[in-house]
Amino acid sequence: MIGLAAAKKKVTELLSSVRKEGRLELTELDSKRILAVWGVPVNRTELARDLSEAIKAAREVRYPLVLKIASPDIIHKSEAKGVKVGLTSELELRQSFDELIDNARAYKPDAKIFGVTIQEYLPPAREVIVGALQDLYFGATVMFGLGGVWIEVLKDISFRLAPLNAEDAREMIQEIKGYPVLADIQRAPPADIDALVNIIQKVGQLAHEFPEITEIDLNPIFVFDNGKGAVTADARIVLGGRK
Amino acid sequence: MSGEVRAIFEPKSVVLVGASAKERVGAASPVFFGSLVHNTLRFFKGKTHVVDFSGRLDGAVKNLDQVPSGCDIAVMVLPPKLVMKNLRKLFARKVKAMVLVAGGFDQHQLEELTRAAAKQKVRVLGPNVLAGVINTTKGLCITLERGLMPPCGGIAMISQNCAVGTAMLDRACAYSVGVSKFASIGEGADITETDLLEFLTHDKETKVICIYLESVRDGRRFLESIREAVQKKPVVVLKGSTVREGVERNRIFVAALKQVGALQVSDIEELLSVADALAKQPCMRGNRVAVVTNVSGPAVLVADVLSREGLALAKLSDNIIKKIIQKYPNINIADWVDLGIDANGDRYKFVLEQVLSDSGVDGVVVVNELKSTFLKLEDVQEAAKAVKKSKNTPVIDIVMCGEDCVLVRNELRDKNVCVYDSPRKAAQALCALCSYGKILKKVGK
Repeated sequence: MIGLAAAKKKVTELLSSVRKEGRLELTELDSKRILAVWGVPVNRTELARDLSEAIKAAREVRYPLVLKIASPDIIHKSEAKGVKVGLTSELELRQSFDELIDNARAYKPDAKIFGVTIQEYLPPAREVIVGALQDLYFGATVMFGLGGVWIEVLKDISFRLAPLNAEDAREMIQEIKGYPVLADIQRAPPADIDALVNIIQKVGQLAHEFPEITEIDLNPIFVFDNGKGAVTADARIVLGGRK
Repeated sequence: MSGEVRAIFEPKSVVLVGASAKERVGAASPVFFGSLVHNTLRFFKGKTHVVDFSGRLDGAVKNLDQVPSGCDIAVMVLPPKLVMKNLRKLFARKVKAMVLVAGGFDQHQLEELTRAAAKQKVRVLGPNVLAGVINTTKGLCITLERGLMPPCGGIAMISQNCAVGTAMLDRACAYSVGVSKFASIGEGADITETDLLEFLTHDKETKVICIYLESVRDGRRFLESIREAVQKKPVVVLKGSTVREGVERNRIFVAALKQVGALQVSDIEELLSVADALAKQPCMRGNRVAVVTNVSGPAVLVADVLSREGLALAKLSDNIIKKIIQKYPNINIADWVDLGIDANGDRYKFVLEQVLSDSGVDGVVVVNELKSTFLKLEDVQEAAKAVKKSKNTPVIDIVMCGEDCVLVRNELRDKNVCVYDSPRKAAQALCALCSYGKILKKVGK
């Protein structure tokens, strides 16, 4: 990671270029760029505007890979049938490319489509969510929870104000009811909690340094076994105020 | 900042301003004015001046001009219009602070009032503070409820709501729980919860600070003040308004309070139980609790609730068990120490001394039931003596029978013992002592 001052400058530039384009919701690609600059691990993600760029990017990122629609107007990519996971060959890529574009057009005919993103495929792991928001009373606040049903149905999440120290972040992870899923239980080795602590602190710091960011959503983050890290597979950042 | 708030809590002279004959309902009613005058004349050790616009009360003057200059607080039991009308006269008397009892100021009036007060360097508590300000050691009792004055003690209370504040005071009186200072904030036009918290953090008479909160102004400053306060004394927060604020916002509020080391309770009963223990007892170093009882039933319930709250029953060392059995062969020591229904003060005294000397004990619950046992009321003094000797291990008392609990509480008045009428309250109190111990460790104290 580059120094804090340099990172701040870079993020400021990225945010203002998004604003200049008249957008408040950052694309996955923009969001991941900002996170990467800020030192949050993200899976390799390249934009391909057409098929030939896609094929070229795929050779660099390497198969198997993930293909996602890249459009500032499509936030819920799965809902738009805009995601393909685990493509293993160029043949599959050619077929999928057109399919994703067609699906996106069908889902939202007037959507602006940048192309697709070619992404590094991540092996199965435990999935968690880290988010941030600006609370009315206290400002920058981070959120943590396990993915899917844990959050949607059980509302099993924890909060802390940012910036927060490692101890706070660790407490926040241990506080959720689903913590045993990450801890050292039942045959499975424990998840890489230290890597998660780092991500939580970084996301908190980002929201704290940039109050204009009203929402950060890293969903999902793949947490590998202890010592093997955690990687953000999808991300969304939203800015406040006027375009 | 806290130096200016001092005038509110520690005035040497008080001016009470109202009208005794004017028929009014609401906070500026002559009934309330009468109660306020009564409370101040009855309890306050400083100088009291009464301004009665109706000119009927004995010893009162009719005009603000007749009050000597430089009084510490003026308490205004007047509707907004009259407060505004008398503002200049009041400032001419060079008061340091004022308490606005009535609410109902419009935005324009509030702005004018706070601007003028700031210019004169007069601090304002309120408007809308019916529950007022109390300082037990100075006998200051600015409340509209006649005679509502809790005993002296180490608990300071701040309330954003008057009725909740009044209920807190009422419970303190009912349970003989000692209070150092109390203030309700009302609409908080000037003095906020944070100002009061900062003052109370450095107040020598205050051992624990309790706050009833619905919202907060300047959230980050408030949290930093709590962070600072908990290094010196525990802060207990009862947070209301979950429904109005929404579940997620409230969860963030709760997490923020936890992050800075505030202890949180869910109702006024728990607030009193927890604060009483924190004011009188040392922290728990660990979570192991020994239970010493003269009847087994209550001990069963105590054990259940302790485990629900995450505390454990202490295992006494063999050496200690041997000593106890040698002297009293009939005492049954298993999960708890059952002294038997024939236990008297001597037996309590000996066993408590032994239990408190065991390094595997972090806290002690003493159950002393009077009904259907041979324990006499005066025997409970032994628990009090054990508490007095125990410097590092908290000891709390449970009497499950309600009537007897009141008797025991009276018997142990001024003895620094917490007496609870339920195992749940006792467990909550011990949990708070345990949590504050952890918080102090975390902040490196």
